[in-house]
Amino acid sequence: MLKYLVKRIARSFVTLLLILTIVFCLLRLMPIEGYFPNFDKMTEQQIQVGLDEMGLNDPLPVQIVRFFNDLLHGDLGTSRIYRANVAVTEILKDKVPVSIRLGVIAMIVSLLAGLPMGALMARYKGKFFDHLGTVFIVCIQAVPAAVYYLYIQLYGTTAVGVGLLFQINNPKYWILPVISMSLGNIAFYAMWLRRYMVDESNKDYVKLAKAKGLSEGKVMFRHIFRNAFVPLAQYVPTAFLNTVIGSIYIESLYSIPGMGGLLVTVVKKHDNTMVQGIVLLYACVGVIGLLLGDLLMVVLDPRISLTKKGGDR
Amino acid sequence: MEQKKILSVKDLEIKFHLRGKTLNAIRGVSLDLYKGEILAIVGESGSGKSVFTKSFMGLLDVNGFISKGDILYSGCDDGKTVNLAQLKKEKQWLKIRGHEIAMIMQDPMTSLNPLKTIGAQIVEAITLHQNLKGNAAREKAIEYLKDVGIPYPEKRFSQYPHEFSGGMRQRVVIAIAVACNPQILICDEPTTALDVTIQAQILSLLKEMREKYKLSIIMITHDLGVVANIADRIAVMYAGDIIEIGTSEDIFYDPRHPYTWALLSSLPQIGVKGEELFSIQGTPPNLFMEIQGDAFAPRNPQALKIDFVKRPPYFEVSPTHRAKTWLLDPRAPKVSPPPVVEKIRNGGIR
Repeated sequence: MLKYLVKRIARSFVTLLLILTIVFCLLRLMPIEGYFPNFDKMTEQQIQVGLDEMGLNDPLPVQIVRFFNDLLHGDLGTSRIYRANVAVTEILKDKVPVSIRLGVIAMIVSLLAGLPMGALMARYKGKFFDHLGTVFIVCIQAVPAAVYYLYIQLYGTTAVGVGLLFQINNPKYWILPVISMSLGNIAFYAMWLRRYMVDESNKDYVKLAKAKGLSEGKVMFRHIFRNAFVPLAQYVPTAFLNTVIGSIYIESLYSIPGMGGLLVTVVKKHDNTMVQGIVLLYACVGVIGLLLGDLLMVVLDPRISLTKKGGDR
Repeated sequence: MEQKKILSVKDLEIKFHLRGKTLNAIRGVSLDLYKGEILAIVGESGSGKSVFTKSFMGLLDVNGFISKGDILYSGCDDGKTVNLAQLKKEKQWLKIRGHEIAMIMQDPMTSLNPLKTIGAQIVEAITLHQNLKGNAAREKAIEYLKDVGIPYPEKRFSQYPHEFSGGMRQRVVIAIAVACNPQILICDEPTTALDVTIQAQILSLLKEMREKYKLSIIMITHDLGVVANIADRIAVMYAGDIIEIGTSEDIFYDPRHPYTWALLSSLPQIGVKGEELFSIQGTPPNLFMEIQGDAFAPRNPQALKIDFVKRPPYFEVSPTHRAKTWLLDPRAPKVSPPPVVEKIRNGGIR
C-alpha cells in the first residue's frame, strides 16, 4: 500500500511539473503586452529595460529554472495588470478560501441529498418516487444551469429573505449559492447511483443474499448500495473540483468574492503571471482530485490490486 | 429410507407475464420431497427446473406468479405445515428463506459479493439464523469453513472472493447455505460452472453435508452423470412438467418415458467411438401456447396418435416409479425402448 502510494504521488508530482513547464513555455509565446499596464505609451527602450528587469530576456531554460526556484519558496510572481505589483499569492489568499468553502459545503449537500435520492429511486424502481426523481434529473440535465440559477436567485432571495449583496459572514446568504451549486451534482449522483444500483441488484450475489434470508432493505444497503458506490466514488473528488472551478457564474451572480471568473478575467487582460498562478492552482487541485479518487477506489474495492499489474477483476 | 415428507408440491402452476403474453412455465407439477433424500430434477434448459424451485423461496421474478396449486412445507420447528404458495408478504418469506430452505447457485464466480470478505458473508448468515454475534459467530464461521474443506480457515476467513478459485468459492457458498441451518438445500446446477475433477469433489461434499446437517437436497441439473453420482430419486422435467419420476435405479435401468429414453441416449459416455452422438430432434414447445397432449410428442418419432390429443396422466410402474406417457396404458402398442437402455442395464455406463 505504502509503496503504491509513494509511486502514485511521485507520478502525480511529475504530471504537475509537466503541466507547469508547458504552461510556462506557452505563456512565453504570448505578446509581451501582458507585462506592462500602460504598454501603448512606452518606448521600445523602456520595454526592453522592463523585460530585462523581470528577467524575460534570459534564455528560456534559465527562466524555467528561476520560475521553479521561486515556486519552491512560495513565490508565484507578481501581478502586472490585474492588480499591478501585488504578489499573486497575496491576491489569491483572500479568494481561494471562499471558493473552497462554497465548494465543500455544496459537495456535502449534494452527497447528502443525491445518494439517498438515487438509493430510493433504485429501491422503488418503476414506482412513483423513481418517476419523480427521473423528472427532476431530466430537468436539471436538460435545462441550462444558467436558467435555473436565475430563477433560484429571483424567487430565492425573497423566500430566504436576503439582499442582493453577499454577506460572507451571514449563513443565510450561503443558502442560495449552495443550492444552485448542488443541484447539478445531486442529479448526477442520483442518476448514476440509481443506475449502478439497478445493475448490481440483478447480480447473482444479490440473489444469494436474498436466499440467505436477508430482508430487502438490508440487501439494498449492505450489499447493493455499497457495491454501487464504488464506481461512483472515483468521481467524487473530481466533481468537487468542478464545483470549485465551475462556480464562476454563481459567484458572479451573488457577487461572492471567490476566485470564480478570475482566470477568465486575467486571461482577457493578458496578465501572464496571474494566469500562471491560477493554472498552477487548478492543476494541483485536479491532480490531487484524481489521486484521491484512485485511492478511494482502492480503499473501497479489495479487488484492485496495488502491487501487481492487472489485478483480478 | 425414512419416508417423512418434508415438502409436498401439489398441482403447481406458475405463469409469467411477458410482453403482454402469458407464459406457462410450470404446468401442474406434483412432487414430494422426503426428509434426508437427494432428489434430482433433470431437464433441458428452459424446462422450468429453476423456476420451479425458486417458487419454494418466493424468489420468482416480479412478473412470475403461482396461479394454482400448493407447496406444503412441513419442516418447521413447531411441526405446523405452511403453504408456501400462499405466502405473499416479505416478512413471511424471511422466516422461510435461509432458515428453512437455502439455495446454492450455479456460478460460484458471481454468487459471492466481491467487496465483502467471505468471513463476513458467512457471519451474516450465522447472525441471521443462529443468534450468534461477534466472536462466537466468527468461531462458528471458521468451523463451517473447515467443514466444507477449506484449508487454513482462520486465514481464509478474512480474504475476499477473488482470492479463491471457482471450486473453493462454491465450497464457501455451500458453507453459507449450511450456516443458515436449513432443512432443505436447493442446489441449482451447483457444478455446471466447474471443471470435472472439482465437480466430483463438490458432489461428495454435498453428500457429506447432507449426512452431517440432516439436509434434504433438491439438485437441479441437466447432467445425468452428476445425477447418477448423487441422487436417491430423479424427476425428469420437460416443458414445465415432471414426466417421469422414480429412484435412480428406476430411471437409469427401467426408464419408461420416450423423453427419458432420448435424454439417456444423448449421454456422450454411451456413444460409440466413430458414431455420431445422439441428439433429440426439434425444439422444446412454445410455452406461450396451450400445449395439446404430450408436450414431447412432436419431437418423438414413435409418438402415438393419442399423444397429440390428450395429455397423459401418471401411470404407476412401481410404488416408487411413475411416468406420464400413454405407452404405459394397457391398450398401447408395444414400443420397445432404444438399445441404449439395454446397454445401461448391462453395465455399459460407468
